[in-house]
Amino acid sequence: MELQASKAQAVPVPSVWRFTPLGLLLVICLILPWLASPLWIRIATEVLMWAGLAQSWNIIGGYTGYLCFGHGAFFGLGSYVTGLMMVNLGWPFGIGLLFSGILASLLAVIIGYPTLRLRGAYFAIATWAFGEMVRQIATILDVTGGAFGLQLPSFLNLRYFYYVMLAVTGLTYLTTHFLLERARFGYKLLAIREHEEAAEMVGVDTVSIKMKAFALSAFFPGVLGGIYAYWVTYIHPDSVLGAQLTDFMVVMAFLGGIGSLWGPFLGAVVVQLLQRILWLFWGEGTFYLVIIGVAICAVVLFIPNGLIGLMESRFLSPREAVSQLKKTFKW
Amino acid sequence: MLIDGLLIGGLIIVVGIGFSLCFGVMHIVDFAVGEWVMLGAYTGYIMVRYFGHDPMIYLPIIFLIFCGVGWMIYPLIYRAVSGKRHNPVIMGLVFTFGLSILAKGGALSVWGYHIQSITTWLSGKSISIGVLTIPALRFAGFVFGILVTILFMIFLYKTKFGIIIRATAQDRDTANLLGADVRKIGGLVYSLYAGVTGMSGVLIGTLFSIHAAMGAKYCTLAFFVVVLAGMGYVPGVIIAALGLGLLQSFVGVYIGGRYTLVALFMVMYGVLLITPKGILRRGI
Amino acid sequence: MILQSNDLVKSFGGVTAINHLSLTVEKGTVFGIIGPNGSGKTTFFNLVNGVYTPDSGRVTFDGKNITGLRPHRIAELGIGRTFQIPAPFTKMTLLENVMVSTFIRASSLKESRKMAWEILELVRLDDKGNTQVANVTLEDRKRLELARALGTKPSLLLLDEVMAGLTPAEVKGAIELIRSLRTRELTIIVVEHIMDVILSLCDRIAVLDYGQKIAEDIPDQIVNNKEVIRAYLGERYSARN
Repeated sequence: MELQASKAQAVPVPSVWRFTPLGLLLVICLILPWLASPLWIRIATEVLMWAGLAQSWNIIGGYTGYLCFGHGAFFGLGSYVTGLMMVNLGWPFGIGLLFSGILASLLAVIIGYPTLRLRGAYFAIATWAFGEMVRQIATILDVTGGAFGLQLPSFLNLRYFYYVMLAVTGLTYLTTHFLLERARFGYKLLAIREHEEAAEMVGVDTVSIKMKAFALSAFFPGVLGGIYAYWVTYIHPDSVLGAQLTDFMVVMAFLGGIGSLWGPFLGAVVVQLLQRILWLFWGEGTFYLVIIGVAICAVVLFIPNGLIGLMESRFLSPREAVSQLKKTFKW
Repeated sequence: MLIDGLLIGGLIIVVGIGFSLCFGVMHIVDFAVGEWVMLGAYTGYIMVRYFGHDPMIYLPIIFLIFCGVGWMIYPLIYRAVSGKRHNPVIMGLVFTFGLSILAKGGALSVWGYHIQSITTWLSGKSISIGVLTIPALRFAGFVFGILVTILFMIFLYKTKFGIIIRATAQDRDTANLLGADVRKIGGLVYSLYAGVTGMSGVLIGTLFSIHAAMGAKYCTLAFFVVVLAGMGYVPGVIIAALGLGLLQSFVGVYIGGRYTLVALFMVMYGVLLITPKGILRRGI
Repeated sequence: MILQSNDLVKSFGGVTAINHLSLTVEKGTVFGIIGPNGSGKTTFFNLVNGVYTPDSGRVTFDGKNITGLRPHRIAELGIGRTFQIPAPFTKMTLLENVMVSTFIRASSLKESRKMAWEILELVRLDDKGNTQVANVTLEDRKRLELARALGTKPSLLLLDEVMAGLTPAEVKGAIELIRSLRTRELTIIVVEHIMDVILSLCDRIAVLDYGQKIAEDIPDQIVNNKEVIRAYLGERYSARN
């Protein structure tokens, strides 16, 4: 949990040293396309995209505690909108992306108004239904190419896409850092997550704050979806609107650590890495899902704060772990 | 066509009842409900493949197997939803979500994307009832659904255990105080749910195709039925499931097959917004 | 007069929790509300606070009609409230809990932090400011409830059974604390079960039974009130008196 007491009692560390790991990461990210092979650039681009998506989900799911299981809809919306705007209306890429993001946020507000009234499990199911509904609609409509998908002209330049993805994902993290970690907005979200009624009683306008969080969390996927559309040049309801998209976002955020700044990033890296390593060694692409499933279960049971939480708190000693296991299975 | 819808609905009732009970008693939304169906279907398939005979024969065995699996998994679920976690329902949700990914991934790894199916002695046959000629298998599925429902109802309303379960569903703390071991009750309910859902998976496997990703479809149906009926309100499930079957058939014939799912989701979404506790407002 | 409820009615299903309740509380006083279980005390608070909207009737605060306003708006207007069972923000520290409540009064995070520390000092929790809520005792959590309610800088404070679950020693401490708040131009309404507490703290007491006010008077008179005795102890005892 990022927003903890340690901020108030942190040992003052010279700013320079604190930023070094981050600075290093930034440098690596910036120069990667000039050092790595096209394959790795592609992998990195994808990891960045997922990192951005997971973090966006984290805003409404992790910080606010409203698990949205239809978040992929915003991504898909962005893909289709950007694609269609450019193909049919000839808009430039940047404008298309911006428009996608704004449209996604708008959709979030429209959907959010009735849906955010629902409690935990109901919200999850409702958003899940919403996500599936959007996918079905895209399959039916002709303008989106229906079940055949949409073919888009290609830009070709791999590096270009890498940097765009980096920029947007970076923006996602910066926004989360400044609006959530270091500001009243973030505290309010946490308060809503921990005890919504009490938050309302101490003056937090829960309805308005939740809507803002939801709209914010939908913006970045919208933009990222637009980038993705042009990066892969062929989009299809199952590829950009499928439930598996949302599933991944949820998994990555949870694994890395919900409600934290770097958790989703870590989660994205781990999941993507896992997928590719397993594919490399076993030439098979689905077993990693089993590991992911086990990992999620383990996270819920033992480290609800995710891998980030694991790094921040102490590890269970073997004896404690055994006694915990014993307690679980004792009848 | 109407009948067709009803028949399918009958089978879905089974899935719906278990799922609804799960939420009612333990406040757990089992995201893996579709996966239980899928695993049941595959287990039936394996048994037929290696031991031969008609899949129907294996129904009781599969019931027991899945009950056992549910019984073993339950302590973990219990642990996920209790303790100082800040939101038990959400934690349970995510945990079962993890289970569903685990199951689906496992199925995909083992069987890949191939589609299988199993046949029974009833496949392809028809029954004549009065003026109607209906596929025997669907009818069997319906009968199965009704039978299980009746058994469940008897269990819930007439036996001692059933009363305890319903009491726990309505007021957990009081039931606890009155001596019900809430944890064991939960375990029992979950195993029954797993067993029944697994069993229905076999029948579904004979009626429709079996593939690793089929879980999503039944998850959808279970959600739909339970949302309409009201989470935790078992009698409503019957009406809702039949209603689902009817809706699907209706939309399929009059509006177009492509729109069935959209209609489904719209109705589900609408109900959640207007009457989140189910159409009859008896949910939790 | 800082708070007035006019003919409030609130029903749940078939049960009328509040049955035409009218109350007036004067500014700067400590007003007590007592009554048997189920008499509607907490429901009354919920109506004042905005958690419930009355079926009919009105709530006026400082001249303003606040009926039907949302709780956060009512908090902005100056009513603070504690929960019977403490409802802290679990994954935060005590300081952060209080900080959230100061957001409507402070103009920056820094100012919030400062205000929060001051309040923690006031309730004598400043030594645990940086501790996570999970690691703190029930008594501390009750004080945190109070601190959080104070964070909104209320002019009316609703205390819902703050003494429940406290040891006699802790109760004494709580009484002292509430007394100290009193000198700060604040109106307090206290709902309590422990007679000694109510009698020693309050200027006036209202007694509720089945959602209605059956008596309202100064403490000395309340204890001798026939209706009150009947409500608490039943017909036999009141007849004896």
